[in-house]
Amino acid sequence: MEKKIKMTQAIIDQYGAINGDNDTIHYDADLASRRGFRGTLAHGLNIMGYAAGLAARRYGADWYTKGELYTKWIAPVCPGDNLTVSLRDDGEIEGKVDQGITMVGHARLAEQ
Amino acid sequence: MTRPSEVKPREGDQPGTPYSAFQEGAILPEMRFSITPEINDEYLAAIDEQDAECYVLDGRKVCAPNVLSVYLLAVLYRRYPPIQGIVVYDQLWRWHNPIFADETTEIVAKGKVTEKFERRGRKWLRFAAEFERADGKPIASAQHTLNLPE
Repeated sequence: MEKKIKMTQAIIDQYGAINGDNDTIHYDADLASRRGFRGTLAHGLNIMGYAAGLAARRYGADWYTKGELYTKWIAPVCPGDNLTVSLRDDGEIEGKVDQGITMVGHARLAEQ
Repeated sequence: MTRPSEVKPREGDQPGTPYSAFQEGAILPEMRFSITPEINDEYLAAIDEQDAECYVLDGRKVCAPNVLSVYLLAVLYRRYPPIQGIVVYDQLWRWHNPIFADETTEIVAKGKVTEKFERRGRKWLRFAAEFERADGKPIASAQHTLNLPE
């Protein structure tokens, strides 16, 4: 399963509104550029949310009582990036943009 | 309804916490907030899940369990206000019981700083949090690792 997103500043701003943060790296492109990034950074937890959505489809009702989600962010996602988040049959998660892998992890049902 | 911004200290709103001030083993005080259908809808829209039909359990609508993720850092930041430049590294969630999407749910969160360490010249912090209904029923457990600036 996979989900494709064309990242935009509007998506970052929308997530920031519900997230309630004021971390300038998400909103100030000049500052992000001065810190060596290609642009502002999408929230890692936003990218995690895409993976969680795939897991909810995969596991159905069990997800809400036995779900386990692990994500590790290893590279940024910036406006303009073509992001693909995938959930493999074995539960491994990967987030990828044209520049490479941005997030890894897993979504599984916990052992009872 | 509790918006995350109502309970989460924001970067720059008050003096932030230098790395030296974090204490391994520190208890993160109880935080109460409410998840409403409106908050869940706004969160679903933010992660492009607004049209998803999978959020159902036994015929009843449930919230995306990861809606709690927008509250997680508040558990830490209420004791240790943030500075600019904190980078999320990883996060582990386990869901135990659903949050239903057709009612308001009062949530109680609490946590603990579990590790503070330096590796490869960088400074790290890990904390854990538990989320329960107000009646004590467990909802979710989380662990979060952050890379903190100097």
